[in-house]
Amino acid sequence: MDISRRDFLKAYAAIAGALTLKASGLMRMQKALAASGEATGVPVIWLQGQSCTGCSVSLLNTIHYMTIDNLLVNELELLYHPTVMAAAGDLAVGAAKGAAAGYVLVIEGAIPVGAQGHYCHVWEDENGDPVTMETAFDAFWRNASCVLAVGTCASYGGIPSGKPNPTTALSVNGALNYFGVCQKDYPVVINVPGCPSHPDWIVGTVASLLAGTVPELDGDGRPIEFFGSEVHHNCPNRGQGDKAKVLGEPGCLAGLGCNGQQTHADCPVRQWNAGAVGGYGVNWCIGGGNPCQGCTEPGFPDAMSPFYALK
Amino acid sequence: MATIKIDPMTRIEGHLAIEATVEEGVVTDAKSSGTMFRGFENILKGRSPLDAPHLTQRICGVCPISHGMASCLNLESAYNTSPPANGRILRNLVLGANFIMSHILHFYHLAALDYVNTDGVLGGAIDKGPWQPHYVAPDMVTDPATVALLVGHYVQALEIRRKAHQMGAIFGGKLPCAPTFVPGGCTAVPTAENTAAFRGLLAEQQNFIDNTYIPDVLTVAGAFPAYFGIGSGCGNLLAYGVFDLDNSDQNKLLYRGRYTNGIVAGVDPTQINEDLKYSKYDDAGSGLNPADGVTEPEVGKTGAYSWLKSPRYQGIVHEAGPLARMAVNYLSGDATAIGLIESVLGTNPDISVLFSVLGRHAARALEAKLVADAMDGWLDELDLGQSSYEKVSIPRGVRTGIGLTEAPRGALGHWITATSRGKIDRYQVITPTNWNASPKDDLDQHGPIEQALIGTPVADMDNPIEVLRVVHSFDPCLACSVHMLRPGKEKAEAVVYTRPSI
Repeated sequence: MDISRRDFLKAYAAIAGALTLKASGLMRMQKALAASGEATGVPVIWLQGQSCTGCSVSLLNTIHYMTIDNLLVNELELLYHPTVMAAAGDLAVGAAKGAAAGYVLVIEGAIPVGAQGHYCHVWEDENGDPVTMETAFDAFWRNASCVLAVGTCASYGGIPSGKPNPTTALSVNGALNYFGVCQKDYPVVINVPGCPSHPDWIVGTVASLLAGTVPELDGDGRPIEFFGSEVHHNCPNRGQGDKAKVLGEPGCLAGLGCNGQQTHADCPVRQWNAGAVGGYGVNWCIGGGNPCQGCTEPGFPDAMSPFYALK
Repeated sequence: MATIKIDPMTRIEGHLAIEATVEEGVVTDAKSSGTMFRGFENILKGRSPLDAPHLTQRICGVCPISHGMASCLNLESAYNTSPPANGRILRNLVLGANFIMSHILHFYHLAALDYVNTDGVLGGAIDKGPWQPHYVAPDMVTDPATVALLVGHYVQALEIRRKAHQMGAIFGGKLPCAPTFVPGGCTAVPTAENTAAFRGLLAEQQNFIDNTYIPDVLTVAGAFPAYFGIGSGCGNLLAYGVFDLDNSDQNKLLYRGRYTNGIVAGVDPTQINEDLKYSKYDDAGSGLNPADGVTEPEVGKTGAYSWLKSPRYQGIVHEAGPLARMAVNYLSGDATAIGLIESVLGTNPDISVLFSVLGRHAARALEAKLVADAMDGWLDELDLGQSSYEKVSIPRGVRTGIGLTEAPRGALGHWITATSRGKIDRYQVITPTNWNASPKDDLDQHGPIEQALIGTPVADMDNPIEVLRVVHSFDPCLACSVHMLRPGKEKAEAVVYTRPSI
């Protein structure tokens, strides 16, 4: 808890740019901030659909911009998060339902709409009837200042929507379209994909929201700051001698199934599992000798499968 | 008689539902169900088997490495191959890192808030979400010095568990979800430099486990002695074993074995069957071994209350997890496990106290030490600068495989049948939470968590903290919601659609 909010925002000025939150969303967020009090932080409601909780666990690894204790104590008020919140049952659900409009809504996991949504229940209503993720999402996006789709499942459907998509799993935008939400009501949606998503991508995006802006997004709704170039473009194996013929050999992995040429992410530079504030990671997929699986792309996993081209 | 319902159950991975019937302040019946279904086994069908270690890691973001390990062992079994020593050791090191991460996360961040009232601590800095609101119980620790100590360690444990992931990423590529796990070994290469970095981070983990984690578990145990007698469960334990010390599948740091009706015995995976009487699947598939398992959903099935199947060993209910592993090693004469358990319980202890809420927490903490200390030795066995992967040639013809390992929360098995054209025909997974959170079986025997809940006292129906403590002690891993029916609130039929996290 060693960074003040001002330092955090300053450090983040490079990213906060481009688009300003839609006036209605910004107003809602400012109202919510006023209601919750500057001291307690931006209110966040985090719903898990068809998720593995991997993105939440990944977020716990945050350190480049700030550590998780700093984020939760000083920057956010995490009103609802199934994996970390103290409350359970009605007490927990009440915390979400009682939130003032303007919270940031985070969706982790896909939203299944098959079987009337019954493939995923998130809680019960006052009559003891199960509430589906589909219903909960449809209730909570309306009062959100913006919706953060964290991870590839929420961003694009991900593995739950992989062929044959047994539960009709949808992304955040997919569900909003399924609901038939019209353009004038459509919320600000930011995709922060990755399987799991990188903590810096999540925290960095949150930081720009704290500054009242939406980072510039690419055609797939991702912040360009993090997803602006292909993995291959910055890969240290690029142009370095022979191509690897067997896993574990040095050299470009293109011949073994690497998806780095069509995958957008800053993994080669940022890397994963950093050990210091402001630092970069200790390793990444290709650094570990394995081809990029393309986990930040809308086509993951079907367009990337099979992951290996082994002869 | 009243039934109470908590929905959702929080501070677990995934979606679980539990209903408990309470008579005169004691739970007399319980139902455990899961509420999320993705259809992983169907999504895997038709894909390349080599995709499975990566796709199945996404079954669970808390214990992905265990799925990666189970899947690699499964394919190596199907292809009749095994990894070079470097590959076996690197995979063990990454899995060990994730075990330590998961155990520390579980005690401090998922379980501890059941025991400590955090109101006003740190000058009120955490009197907000996600720490507020919370249940209140008169027995929660409120002594300011102890609360401050434990909350301080909660914060410190956030850093330590992050560093455990950092350590695992050195050979795993990244965490959660390690890309380097492949049949044939591990694609990372150990060097003097990365091995030294790993060792430095490991020393920090060992220091925290020895001087903070284990003492804190003992502090909580000292404050809640009744919980050595609550949540005893079914009394039978099952461990597939984990951390292979060679490629024989016989020599493991944590042994394969079971404790059934008071007797230690071996494990024959063909004796595992999955019952479906209370599961939302067609009864025609009931009682099958997972190698032949079928998953035919039947949404409206009368009497069914869960999407979990009920795995049983020879028809007998077994609990999986750190308690099972530590007890099997202890009862099999492993000197390290004996030393660790006796350091807590004294010489020649009555180990029945381990069959309890606190026994599970203690076993988890002691296991973290056992694993971390062993990892230090494994680093010395690495052949630095040498490949950790041996190219796998995929034989022709229909292949079947089995991969048995352990997740932090218990026995994990993967089963595959691959077609002659090299595609997945059948992929079945039984997770530890499948064992622990299973519904009743074809013989109407309750699952382990259900049995542990029955007999649990509940003092205040509006603050059913005792139920949380029992359920959390199993460290269930499924997208869960615990249902307890409130007094006077009509019990709704639980409509649930899941096998945990699959």
